[in-house]
Parts: sequence; C-alpha cells; structure tokens
Amino acid sequence: MKKFIPFFLLAILLVTACSETSTNTKDWTEASWDEIEAAADGTVVRLYMWGGDEGINDYIDNYVTPQVEDRYGVSLKRVPLDTPEILQKLQTEKQANKQNGSIDVIWINGENFKNAKENELLIGSFTEVLPNFNDYYNTEDPAFQTDFGTEVEGMEAPWGKVQFVFHYDSEQIKNPPATMEELKTWITENPGKFTYPRAEEFTGNAFLRHVLYAQAEKPPDIYEQPLEENDITPTAERTWSYLNEIENDLWRSGEHYPNSLTELDRLYSQGEVWMTMGYNESRAESLIEEGVFPESTRSFVMEPGSIGNTHFLSIPFNSPNQPGALAAINFMLSPEAQLEKYKPNDWGENTPISFEQLPEDIKKEFKAVERGESVLSTEELEESFLPESEAAYVDWMKEQWFNEVVQK
Amino acid sequence: MIRKKAMFLSLTLLFFIFPLTIMLLQSISAPWRFHTGQGIDWGWQGFSLLFQNPQLWEATFTSIWIGFAVLFINITIGLFTGKALASYTSYGKPWLEALLLSPILIPSLAIAMGLHLFMIRVGLADTIWGVMLIHLVPTVPYSIKIFHNSYQQMGKAMMEQPHILGAGFWTQVFTVELPLLRPAIRSLTFLTIVISLSQYAITAIIGGGRVLTLPLVFFPFLDNANTSIMAAFSIWFALIPVFMYIIIEALMMFLPYSRLPWRNHR
Repeated sequence: MKKFIPFFLLAILLVTACSETSTNTKDWTEASWDEIEAAADGTVVRLYMWGGDEGINDYIDNYVTPQVEDRYGVSLKRVPLDTPEILQKLQTEKQANKQNGSIDVIWINGENFKNAKENELLIGSFTEVLPNFNDYYNTEDPAFQTDFGTEVEGMEAPWGKVQFVFHYDSEQIKNPPATMEELKTWITENPGKFTYPRAEEFTGNAFLRHVLYAQAEKPPDIYEQPLEENDITPTAERTWSYLNEIENDLWRSGEHYPNSLTELDRLYSQGEVWMTMGYNESRAESLIEEGVFPESTRSFVMEPGSIGNTHFLSIPFNSPNQPGALAAINFMLSPEAQLEKYKPNDWGENTPISFEQLPEDIKKEFKAVERGESVLSTEELEESFLPESEAAYVDWMKEQWFNEVVQK
Repeated sequence: MIRKKAMFLSLTLLFFIFPLTIMLLQSISAPWRFHTGQGIDWGWQGFSLLFQNPQLWEATFTSIWIGFAVLFINITIGLFTGKALASYTSYGKPWLEALLLSPILIPSLAIAMGLHLFMIRVGLADTIWGVMLIHLVPTVPYSIKIFHNSYQQMGKAMMEQPHILGAGFWTQVFTVELPLLRPAIRSLTFLTIVISLSQYAITAIIGGGRVLTLPLVFFPFLDNANTSIMAAFSIWFALIPVFMYIIIEALMMFLPYSRLPWRNHR
C-alpha cells in the first residue's frame, strides 16, 4: 500500500493546483468599431458549427475564410461540432469558471439559444456595434426580436433565414395539394406514398406544428399565444383526429415513422414515397445536382402558410477573441457575403437582409440570382410566411404526439 | 466437414463480403434510384467530395497518432496489471477485478462529463493529451482482461523458469513474456484502435473541437441523404485500422525470437 501514496499525493496536487484566474478585462460590446477592427487584425477566430453539409462547409472554407483574412486580417478556423455539444462544453467551462475559452463564434437558434441565454453562456448584447447589422438590416423586424418566442435582446445576430417547404416529384404528381385538407384527400387517394418524421425530430415536429396551425381558427391563435394547454384543447383535438385519419394511408400504414429527415429523404430518393419536406426552401437544389433527388423535384407550400425561422451567430461568454469574433460576424452579415450565400452553387440559402436598405447595384445582383427550378419565388414564400410558435409548443408536441397518435 | 465449410462460406458471403461489396459499389457511384429504371451512374463523386474536405488529412493523422498512443499506454498498463492479477492472490482480488472493469459498465459519456471539469482545472481540456487519457477509459478494462487471461494461460511455471535461470525483470518481459503474448497484443491492437477511432461524444467533450479526430468530421455526415459520401467515408474509416494493424504487425517482428521473413529458418 505504501507504494501508492505518492500517486495519491500527485492526484491531490493536480486537483488542487491550477485554478484559472485570467479574465477578459475589456467589454468589447461597448467599444467603437475602429477600435474593434484594430484589435481584430492578425488574430485567430474559431467558428464552431455543425459540419454535416458539404455546401455549407465549402461556403465557409472557400469564401468566408479568405475574405475575412483579406478584410480584417482575421484567420477563421471552422470547427465541426454539434450545437448541443458546444453548449455542454460551455456549460462545464462556466462551472469550472474558465474565463479563457476556445470558442469565438457559434451558430445557434431556437431551443439552443434559449438554453444558452438562460444559463448565461453568451457575452450579452452585441449586435448594436455591428455596422453591417445597423446599415442593412431592419433591426426592428420581429423575426430578429424573438427566436422561437425567446427575446433576442441583441445577443445573437441574424445570419440566414429558412422557410419550411414540401418537395414532390412533378412526374408523379401533377397538382400538389394547396391546403391541409387537400393533402388529406391526396393521401387517401395515394395510400403509402406520404409520411413524416417522428415528432422528436426537428422536421417532423415542424410538420406537426403546421397541422396544428391549420386546425386552429387562425394561425396567430398559436404563434401569438404562449402555450396554455386548456385554451388549445379543441384545436389539439382536431389535430389528433386529422393525424389519426391519415395514419392508415401513410407509408407502411403508419406503423413506422422515419426517425430522421435523412430517412425520409432516402425514401423519397428511392421513390418509396412521393413527397418529402424540410426547412430551407432551396435544399433540394444541391440534392438534385448530386443525383439524390430526381430532377423533376419541385416544391410547394400549403394554406394557411409555411413556418419560417431565422438562424443566428453569437459569441460565448468566454470567447478569447471578442474583437475578432465581432469582425467575423460583421463580415458574414455583409451584403456581399449574404449575396454569395444566396447563390445556389454553394449554399443557396435565403437572406435576412432588408432589400430596401441595400444600395441599388447589390439589390440588382440579388434580383438576378437564379435560385433554381425547385425553389419557389420570393413573393410566394413571403406571402405564405408564418412565424414560429413559442419553443414550449415543440416539447408539448413531442409528448402529446406519441400518446395521441402512435399509441392509438 | 464439407457442409460445415459451405455453411461458413455462405455465412461470410451473406454477412461480410456481400455488404462490403455493396458499400464499395455505393462509394463509386451516384445514389442509385432503382425505381426510375435508370442504370447506375458510376463516378468518383463520393471520394472527390471526401478529399475536398480540407480537414480530412489533419483529422486522419490526429486519429492515427491518438490511436497509437492509446495502444501503447494500453499495452503498458494492461501488461503489468494483467501480470499482477495473474500472479498474486490476495483476499480482495474479485473486488479489485470488478473495480478495474467498471469503466466499461458505467457509460463513458457520464465519466467524460465529470472528468471534463477536472481536465479544465488541470489544463488538459482541449488538448490531445486529454483526449488520449479519456480514450483510455473505454479501452483499458479490455486490455487488462486480455492480458490477465493470457498470463493465466501461460501459467506460473513459465514465469518461474526465467527467474530461476537468473533473468532480470525486464529481460524476462522482453524475451519471454512479450513473444508469448503476441496473440494478445494482436487482438488488443485491433480492439483498441477501433474503439479509439470511433469515439465521438467523449472526444468532442474533452477535445472541445480543438482536437480534430476523424469521427468529428465524419459523424455529422450521418445526417446526409447522399449515400455515396457516407460509403466513401466508411471505407476511408475502415482502412485506417487495417493500415495501423500492418504497422504493429511489422513492429512485432522485432520482438526477440520472432520469425523474420528475410532470414532463413529451418
């Protein structure tokens, strides 16, 4: 036993040694922009984001990275990590009181933002110092004020926006349904050709919320109201009966729902089902190009509308390089970067920028971008736009769907 | 006998060769939509997308380096612990054995989350050393078990003999034990490298994204409907343990009393 004593001592020493004392001294969210730019020059910025899409990765690696190097002398490093893991890491660092972290910028929205804000994992309000945000964005836009019902309070900067659309194979379907009722008729007429991912899954949950919106008297009854289960009981009843009525005619008679959007996409790719769906109105473009989706894939939205949301960039509380992070975010919000992101060859995603505030030439360039045949027109998308409901509805749907639909 | 052989062949075909061939074919063709009646589009799209990823090489080398380090530490710890367990008998031994196996019974994610706090304090979080340490958690119990069994099979007499002949401790390890433990090292190599290579969650937590290993680049692609990329990635992933195994096999030839292919033997 004596032999082990040095080891115990060493272990105790390690535990009690080093507790970090360094702190970020300056509050950069109050600094002037010139000062920030000067401090950002020659620094490294680590951008942590989900890395499962080649188009998005390419956009960051081959466009954003060289550009910020050019403009601000900032060397941007993309680190692929899932958002929940990023938050987990920040949470533990907070607990350990580590003031000098390793993450400078994160890509975030919805429930993750809510968690991060509640646990004080972000640096606080910073969007006011960003010149590009103030110049080219409608800062009063409700889409930037709340994120799934959580007050944004300048703690994240809008980077992109997406809208929920359905995809169909125009060779199989001539006229896609225009309302939820028509969808139901279509499903009955074409048994086995439609399904949706489970409620636990992001996209499946969004589909269910569309049904909920459609069964309400009018959609604002849901998205303008905080969740009160008693108030929405009649709407909920209609939603469950709608879902139970279509269940028998779903793929595999509704005995099995796809576990992920990927699974649904593969079913669609194989022609097992004739429709798929998803956030990001232009996501079919790259899948068509890669040969995953048939070339005849088109998209549609239904009455009463389609839910859209904004996604954001934010800075963690212990970012070691706040001026660099601000500079990088400012660039990613710039009209040039947004225009590049809007083009279908890389990412092809919609922009939250406000067209009225853009200089004429850039506005023209935006107008000239061909987003591809599978993407609906901007007017059509804007007309059908519906905001997200409070994040509580997402959890409520997860719980209730299993009891009311799967088990019946 | 023939029936047994046929059985073996058909089972390997069904469960091993057939799926592997399908994956190979998938990686060199665009996703096949058979319902359309079109043929398969052959091409290197899957692999070209794979090699386009600028992080691929960095991640591959980091993974290999971590894999070798973890393997080396595993052999060291496993060898001596296994030897001790096999040669000493003491009152609490079953308890000790259970304790040594416990890391694989407790979810490693829970261990990693707890250890993360500790690693931040000692400055090991976000470093490659921290990742190597955390990879020991799911591997060391196996290596102790494997070496323990091997030493037990070897028997005490085999250890007493060199001792009587006057060999020192290290001479005994290198000239008698290691050559006899070759099968154990082989199985350990494969096991350790495969386990270390496939840790996503604990690497992400302890490495914090700063230590970029292959699963960190690979796993997010599971959400991708493009099966060609997935197949190409999987093949890349499978080649690494094979490559590392060959290196270890070559290194083992330098153990004493090994049969060297370039030397004449009786």
